[in-house]
Amino acid sequence: MGMVQKRKKMHYGDTHLQRRWRVRNRRRDLDQIDDDLRTRSGELINQNVDLDKPGFAQFYCVHCAKYFIDDTAMQAHFRTKVHKRRLKALETEPYSIEESERAAGKGSFQKAKKRVMETQPTKDEVIAGKRIKVEEKAEAMAEEPSTSKATPRKKPEKMET
Amino acid sequence: MRIETCYFCSSKIYPGHGVNFVRNDCKIFKFCRGKCHKAFKRKKNPRKVGWTKAHRKAAGKELAIDPSFEFEKRRNVPIKYSRETWQKALEAIKKVTEIKERRQNHFVMERLRKGRQIEIQMDVKDVQRNMSLIRSPAAGLKERRAKEAAEEAALMEEDLPEEKITYVDARELEKKLEEGMGIDDLEMLEA
Repeated sequence: MGMVQKRKKMHYGDTHLQRRWRVRNRRRDLDQIDDDLRTRSGELINQNVDLDKPGFAQFYCVHCAKYFIDDTAMQAHFRTKVHKRRLKALETEPYSIEESERAAGKGSFQKAKKRVMETQPTKDEVIAGKRIKVEEKAEAMAEEPSTSKATPRKKPEKMET
Repeated sequence: MRIETCYFCSSKIYPGHGVNFVRNDCKIFKFCRGKCHKAFKRKKNPRKVGWTKAHRKAAGKELAIDPSFEFEKRRNVPIKYSRETWQKALEAIKKVTEIKERRQNHFVMERLRKGRQIEIQMDVKDVQRNMSLIRSPAAGLKERRAKEAAEEAALMEEDLPEEKITYVDARELEKKLEEGMGIDDLEMLEA
């Protein structure tokens, strides 16, 4: 009595994840996407018609490396958590083989830089000549919003006291 | 033969160990063991995994920037073999590793020293806060009370009876004075 009658687990229940981690299902890595953003964002957003791709390759999110069937689907995707999380992940410089060597003591190890990440421009803007720019975040810019956020939180405390 | 570095944990990979993964853009990722390979397949970020060198250096736990790291490096410049440079390099390696280790150990000790100072401060605070556990607040209470009582008694003796302040309307007072009553009489009236 009082003992736990539990089935012995033979696997972790992550079969669906195991399938995703297989090499054949491998998606583009963050460093590859970073390379895309720097060098060929224009080509990727404004692609030629490819009948094999979803939406004939006309609706492509560069940050998530994903095709969509139409513009509404893509706009909906831009509002999702998945996309925002990806933007956040790309804000820091991606990890690379060179960095792994620097971490091992072959050269000085610099901290990863922060960049500004925004959702890609529309197709029309790209045709007009706009491209995704990957610029480093200015430190002063990064500090200001944090302080301005902090002060209004403090103010009500002062009022109470 | 070359001793490679692991992509994930940055440890050494000796010949005959580990796995190579060649991505479809021809980049070669080398892993020292299954643990690192698996973590890579799961798209883990080595900077955020505690046991990797990248995490320890990014988090400031180990010496990251130092000129002593600049000797051993991938330079991609071929050097013609000469016995003399070979011998010199061997001697230099010994010296450089010695200096590097000393500096790394020094960095770690400096980092730990800060923690120890904080520990001491916390201990002092702890003692001050829980002084009652060491010395009972009731210790010597009787003597203290007796002392206080004696002091109070002394004060009572010293104290003069307090003067009574009475507020009287100024006009009435004038009237009464005109009628020819003395101040003593007034006091009698109030009482």
